Amino acid sequence: MKFSDKKWIRFRVYLVSIFFLAGLAIILTRAFQLQILETKRLYNRARNDYVGTTKLPPKRGTIYDREGHELALSVEVGSVYAHPKRIREKAAAAKQLAGVLKESRKEILERLNDERSFVWVKRRVSAEQAGEIESLDIEGVGIITETRRYYTGSEIAAHLIGFAGVDNQGLEGIEKRYDEVLTGPQYSLIHMRDAMGRLFSISSPVPSGHGARDIVLTIDKDIQYKAQQALRSAVEKNRAASGHCLVVDPATGEIIALAVVPEFNPNTFSKFMPYHWRNRTVTDVYEPGSTIKAFLLAAGLEKGTITPDTVFDCEQGEYEISGHIIHDTRKYGMLSVSDIIAYSSNIGAIKIGERTGHSTFCDFLLKFGFSDKTGIELPGERDGFIRMTEVAKPIDQTTLFFGQGMLTTSLQMVMAMAAIANGGNLMRPYVVKKIMDESGQVIEETCPRIIRRVISSKTAKKVSDILQGVISGGGTAPQAAIPGFTVAGKTGTSQKVDPKTKRYSNRNYVSTFVGFVPADNPRLVILIVIDEPRDSYYGGAVAAPVFKEVGQWALNYLRVNPQTSIVELKNTHIPLKPDKKKPSLSGPVTEIALNIRSENDSEIIGHLPDLRGLGMREVAKKISSLGLKAHLEGTGLAVKQDPKPGSSLETIRKVKVSFSPPS
Amino acid sequence: MFDRRLIQNIDWLLLLVLIIIAGISLLNLYSATYPIRDVGGAQIFTKQVYWFFTGFFVFLLMTTFNYFALERIAYPAYILSLILLVLVIVIGKVTCGSQRWLSLGLFSFQPSELEKIVILIVFAKFFSEKGGFQKYRLRDLWQPFLILSMPFLLILKQPDLGTALLIVAMSFSIFFFVNVYWKSMVILVGSAIAVAPLVWFNLKEYQQARILTFIRPEMDPLGAGYHINQSKIAIGSGLFWGKGFLKGTQTRLNFLPEQHTDFAFSVLAEEWGFLGAIILLMLYLFLILCGLSIARNSKDKFGSILAVGIVSMFFWQVVINVGMVAGLLPVVGIPLPLFSYGGSSLITTMASIGLLMNIRMRRFMFSA
Repeated sequence: MKFSDKKWIRFRVYLVSIFFLAGLAIILTRAFQLQILETKRLYNRARNDYVGTTKLPPKRGTIYDREGHELALSVEVGSVYAHPKRIREKAAAAKQLAGVLKESRKEILERLNDERSFVWVKRRVSAEQAGEIESLDIEGVGIITETRRYYTGSEIAAHLIGFAGVDNQGLEGIEKRYDEVLTGPQYSLIHMRDAMGRLFSISSPVPSGHGARDIVLTIDKDIQYKAQQALRSAVEKNRAASGHCLVVDPATGEIIALAVVPEFNPNTFSKFMPYHWRNRTVTDVYEPGSTIKAFLLAAGLEKGTITPDTVFDCEQGEYEISGHIIHDTRKYGMLSVSDIIAYSSNIGAIKIGERTGHSTFCDFLLKFGFSDKTGIELPGERDGFIRMTEVAKPIDQTTLFFGQGMLTTSLQMVMAMAAIANGGNLMRPYVVKKIMDESGQVIEETCPRIIRRVISSKTAKKVSDILQGVISGGGTAPQAAIPGFTVAGKTGTSQKVDPKTKRYSNRNYVSTFVGFVPADNPRLVILIVIDEPRDSYYGGAVAAPVFKEVGQWALNYLRVNPQTSIVELKNTHIPLKPDKKKPSLSGPVTEIALNIRSENDSEIIGHLPDLRGLGMREVAKKISSLGLKAHLEGTGLAVKQDPKPGSSLETIRKVKVSFSPPS
Repeated sequence: MFDRRLIQNIDWLLLLVLIIIAGISLLNLYSATYPIRDVGGAQIFTKQVYWFFTGFFVFLLMTTFNYFALERIAYPAYILSLILLVLVIVIGKVTCGSQRWLSLGLFSFQPSELEKIVILIVFAKFFSEKGGFQKYRLRDLWQPFLILSMPFLLILKQPDLGTALLIVAMSFSIFFFVNVYWKSMVILVGSAIAVAPLVWFNLKEYQQARILTFIRPEMDPLGAGYHINQSKIAIGSGLFWGKGFLKGTQTRLNFLPEQHTDFAFSVLAEEWGFLGAIILLMLYLFLILCGLSIARNSKDKFGSILAVGIVSMFFWQVVINVGMVAGLLPVVGIPLPLFSYGGSSLITTMASIGLLMNIRMRRFMFSA
């Protein structure tokens, strides 16, 4: 190769090099422009324009009753969504969708004309509708599965469980209080374009602390059902404004049933008013009235200021205290402490109170937990109120002894009574038994907790014995008696303060009964409050029958054995169904043959006996021992009874018996 | 067979650059196929590793003989390559609407890739024999024109617009190098533009769409313009430092089309940022400069022209591919040499670098 050629080659190579360098420089400049100069625009586009998200409501854990029945659960439902930009013929699509969803075409078309890349057409449609929409196969319209809350029992324990809203957020009750526990991972719909630029959405979980956890309540669904049913009919029967019923295991403080009337259905909670949702057992306070005498008794006995046999003068029903005259419903003379409680004498209570001392009584009320929140795991709990000695006028001090001038919630009252029932320990009430993770592993279990000892077990026993007198024939609440079991309890009938006149109303009362059964080994403490009953308003007449109904049913359900000492009594009938196997609450239940019959073989347990041929006194005694109301007509011996002998006791409230003189 | 001087004259720098690019390429391919690793992505990666081994074998093979032997087989090889191109049209495999592949039993083969090298050899022979560097006029170029047009039309027929344009660009580079009279060059380029409408109507619809959207990419952001927008977003969102290995969101979420083949550079630019893009482009620049240095120091005109041709092949591929993914040029489907996934392209590239090395190793030898 000639030298000139070599030189030429070099020259040409340099020329080509310059050309190539220029080309690469252009490319580099472009990269620089894209990556450094236009960064913000392109970076944002990469982040925002192409990835949109829509939050989906998180799945919630299941709420079970103590036996593992589902009370609230999450069910999967379809929701219809659309990518408006991908729908070619919006009018036609809207028409089709409107047809299936039974909605106005105009509204759907409006949603389809939305500028956003993702819109909900309709949330939570039925399975059939979802299927139909899928079969329509409209481009840009799809179904996504989300969960919604379903309350299997509808009204059952609704006030306790509360409810979750449209976005599965807990709004009331346990659902609200345990929202964080129940809430599972949040799901997001991530909207993306596939490689062909078509929009699509996938749902994916957003990392959260834990999965949806399940809650097991202390509630027993069946007892709860019975409590609600009994309370509902009592409120209806008495044309009352509202009512509460609490069933508590005194040994542990577990709430076994919590019923409130008026009821609501959490599945359609928005159709009810907020006052329907309120869990009145913790949010509402009222004057306890005479029920407080049980605690006055406990205070006096514990302090030793009185004994069951101490006798007080009940002043023939009229007693003047600093210018005010206190009345009893009946005129009593000298009454023992036991009788004062059994007859619920206000004057007797004042005498006990005066001897015990107002401040001592206040101390005991505080110890019984009347003023503080119980600390139950429910939202909206209120404090009670006691006008303490320092601020109470003499008349206020006096009226406190029969339960005026203080406020309590039903829950405080039932827990205080539980303390008497269990031998003197104030328990912390609870409704959440345990919390489980998704695999069923128990994460948290609530243990019974004693808050404090209030009275000695000896005192508790004495109080219990005296409270049994309330249920006796002469007491204020024989209607609370449960055949086969000893019952201890106390009635209360308090006048409500009229908000207009600021004075006690003659029309509006709160009727209460709170007691426990069996009295010597209490398994259940039951509180019944009927607010503003019409016609009759005495606690014994209005609330006590509900106590009996719920207690009898629950004891039978729990297979608690009737106390043989009572079974042996003549003409007493215990409704028991021995073939039923039922769970226990606390403590073992001895299973014995429950083949109990009275002497008279024709009288079958659980059924109305034949009363014909008996005298009036005997009939009245029998009917009352069955916890029924007697309606007696005529004189002489019973000749006719309605219902007929052998009718199931469960369906009867009242027995009508006609008498005529023996011929 | 191997002279000691041959070993001495190995261009270690070229070899080093080659290995670095290969390494980055594999790393990038791993990332690009990561989101689809369970649905064939892993196989894509291993396959490419095998191709690299095969490529190095071809590379070594290409250094074993004296490149001057190529001058002798230039025309027969040209004829053979034309026959293969015809065969492709007759019995070739159809993939994605194009007939580019010849099935050879065990593997498929793209004759257009072979054509790229063959046409360089033919031009090197033609111009070195014609008297080297003189001012060529148009009438002197009718033969090269004929040589170019036949494979061009056949490749366009497949259709493979990218490769067809590439061989034109390569040929023009050689014309430029061997000193075609500048007025003739202008006429050449002008006439190339003049036949463009002819080419246009021979294009498939999707190719027309791509070129149209290149002119106005926002016209159809979800259709034909989608590729280019996504790619620009990927590159742009990489910023200076990049999002990090395996962290590119556009790549991860599969937004990028053909992210392991033609759009591999976007993946790199997104994950390694402007820095990564600069480094890769610098490596290509090194490769090109090494090639040009080989051309300058070649012992004969044939070697020089061949080396410049090979370098121009790299250059145009890099410029077209990066220009394409950066939205500077229409999407025509040119792989990034050594970088995009694909056996045929890799083997051709390795073979051509082997030839470069061959020319370099024999720069002090005299032809027999």
